[in-house]
Amino acid sequence: MKDFRIERETRGNVQLVHLSGSLDMYSFTRLETQINSLFHQGQYCVVLDCRDLDYIGSAGLGALIGFAKQAREHSGDLKLLNVPDRIFKIIELLGFTKVLEVHTGEDSALESFTAS
Amino acid sequence: MAEALKGISVSCSNGEVFVRVVGRGTFQNGQPLRRYALEMMGHGYHQFIIDLGQCQGMDSTFLGMLAGIGLRLQQDNRKGQVHVVEVGPRNLELLQTLGLDRLFDVQTTNNFQVREAVPADADYKRLPDTDIADLTKPLNKNDTADLMLEAHDNLIRADHRNVDRFQDLTKFLRENVEKRAANEQKRKDDTP
Repeated sequence: MKDFRIERETRGNVQLVHLSGSLDMYSFTRLETQINSLFHQGQYCVVLDCRDLDYIGSAGLGALIGFAKQAREHSGDLKLLNVPDRIFKIIELLGFTKVLEVHTGEDSALESFTAS
Repeated sequence: MAEALKGISVSCSNGEVFVRVVGRGTFQNGQPLRRYALEMMGHGYHQFIIDLGQCQGMDSTFLGMLAGIGLRLQQDNRKGQVHVVEVGPRNLELLQTLGLDRLFDVQTTNNFQVREAVPADADYKRLPDTDIADLTKPLNKNDTADLMLEAHDNLIRADHRNVDRFQDLTKFLRENVEKRAANEQKRKDDTP
């Protein structure tokens, strides 16, 4: 099981957050802390790059909905990028794709904020 | 550990149900264990021993499903309980975070009390389709959503502090389940 890692970079007014490893009940509090810290700084446009994510548990999935909701309340959003197939299948199965925007390219994810 | 035991294996002996989780316990393999537990409760089994010695981690749905077993045993006043044994530090933290250490009898790797009649390895049988790395059937959308909702409702019933943690998820799942029920009802009504 790979350790969960978070790396963040700023792209214009969007925060691009790279996730790797397993996002489980144990590690998701770290993501929660990171996202809450961004929100406290007034950064409500967030893209989570999931390319190197190998697992996501139900608590992690639930938390993403909560983050997206909070971001939208402040005219921002939380979007997903490069979601691996096996994780996308789960997100889609549970209907989360109806509330979470999923992108396959970094440019489209970043530009979607200026378009909206 | 033999490859055959990867996933969730079960056995019963002396009125006790033994469950061994090898690998992860998640919403992907929680349903077979839930069904088995209900069946065994129906047969009068009240003590469930969950061995987490080889469990790499559990998600909230799996933990909520276990909480459901514990709550049902309590609610029916059967003097039954879920005993979670061989709990390592990581899984212990999960149980404590969700307040389940107050619902279950938790025995860590340090304070594990060996039971009189622990089944031999050969007596365990693996529940079908519980090795999440090798699921043979795709998950059913409705069953998975129902399990997730029920499990998170259980976590909230077990410890009210979980409301804040899971309210967005339960709201989303409940809305979907209600929408689905309304659609099914409409389909029935429309059928001549």
